[in-house]
Amino acid sequence: MNPSELLEKIAFNVIQGRVEAEDEGFDLGLEGQPGVTELVNEALNLNIDPKKILIESLTESMEIVGEKFEQNEYLIPDMLASAECVGVAMDLLSPHLIKAGIKSKGKFIIATVKGDLHDIGKNIVAIMLKGAGYEIIDLKSDVSTDRIVDAVKENEAPFLGLSALLTTTMRNMENVIRELEKQGLRNKVKVLIGGAPTSKEFAAQIGADAYCKDAFQALEIMKKIESSP
Amino acid sequence: MIIIGEKINATLSSVKSIMLNRETENLIDLAKKQVESGANFIDVNVGTGVGSLEDEIESIQWAVESIQEQIKTPICIDSADPKVMETGLKILNNKPAMINSVKAEKYNLEAVVPLAAEHDSFLIALAMDESGIPKTVEGRLRCCETILSACEKYGVSIQNVYIDPLVMPISTDINSGMVTLKTLSAIKEQFPGARTVTGLSNVSYGLPERGRLNVAYLHMCISAGLDAAIIDPLDKALMAAVKTGEVLAGKDRHCRRYMRSFRK
Repeated sequence: MNPSELLEKIAFNVIQGRVEAEDEGFDLGLEGQPGVTELVNEALNLNIDPKKILIESLTESMEIVGEKFEQNEYLIPDMLASAECVGVAMDLLSPHLIKAGIKSKGKFIIATVKGDLHDIGKNIVAIMLKGAGYEIIDLKSDVSTDRIVDAVKENEAPFLGLSALLTTTMRNMENVIRELEKQGLRNKVKVLIGGAPTSKEFAAQIGADAYCKDAFQALEIMKKIESSP
Repeated sequence: MIIIGEKINATLSSVKSIMLNRETENLIDLAKKQVESGANFIDVNVGTGVGSLEDEIESIQWAVESIQEQIKTPICIDSADPKVMETGLKILNNKPAMINSVKAEKYNLEAVVPLAAEHDSFLIALAMDESGIPKTVEGRLRCCETILSACEKYGVSIQNVYIDPLVMPISTDINSGMVTLKTLSAIKEQFPGARTVTGLSNVSYGLPERGRLNVAYLHMCISAGLDAAIIDPLDKALMAAVKTGEVLAGKDRHCRRYMRSFRK
């Protein structure tokens, strides 16, 4: 297989959501063919630029997965299968990216706010952003305002993602933003929020930079932030 | 099987407006429909997500008063806040009631379990603690143990406790269906006297043809030892599955309930 064929094959299997050769894909009859693990290893053995693998095989194919999800062709398990592929591929690529001196797009702190234990959505966003080239610092769930603000400060992180799934806990997002303001950090960090009870209006009301309906919208918003000066 | 009708839940947008606008007639209608379809308890959740705790207390007052004035079926007060529970229980004035719910977290136990003791109400106990829902059967059983020992301490009889092993979507974790089933049978073995309850439709979240999965999963839960279900009693397929599941699991003597339900 030549390099461009191989990159395409990886992308295809990310979209199919196949981690290993034995895995079933979205479409019928792919079992037995190499999956993302085998293909990424092969690409690395062939000395294909890891950054190229990241962008052409992972980032771009996740955008396609996002579109399919948006159009209801893909459901949650389809998306999770693809996200799992990206996670596995990133674990394989990371040491090579570091060795090649390729910098991440920046530190992205992510957390579910105090009082809230829901983490499925937050985890999906974290994997997607990892696949898009960000360095994810995942503070997990039920994280106090102080811990979130401290993490932003210590890491000098330019991005912060907050999640809440309860009407009672979404208010804690506002506390985080107020505390960032108090400590003079607010203009140094972009705050993205998401989770079922939140909305664009709520984001505006508490002074967040953006509301993300789902992980794919988070990627779109990050793209916009990247391209704006 | 005890059916707890789940429809009066203010997190659903249609019910939210009933709460916010105090639409008494629509509220009663929703309760009546569930009772007519076989609900043994009417779950009432007034958490609209807007307004303060005081608003929620006023809402539960209105909802419980309105329903109990016209309907004899016991109410299941569904709230995360002990103050809301207490308000509802006081209005019910020691009529049969259920509290939904308590979890294995110190402050929550200290606030909620005494309420169940004082009002002699049934109590739904969630197999989770302050760090969330354990992924393993053992973890969930530990939570049950914590709650049951608090119940003993405050004088809530184990017969009044309905343990919820908690159902998580299989769409996000393919093992979650089996963890719940194994927890169910383990609860029955380790805590004799305790009953079990769950809101099982969560299992099919994110998947197509949810009704099929809900019916299949209800059958599996009944066979693993489920005593009560928090469901939509207007869901005819699911209500029929209660009958088919119980008769197949040997919980319907001489198939009487099954035959009565489908008698021509």
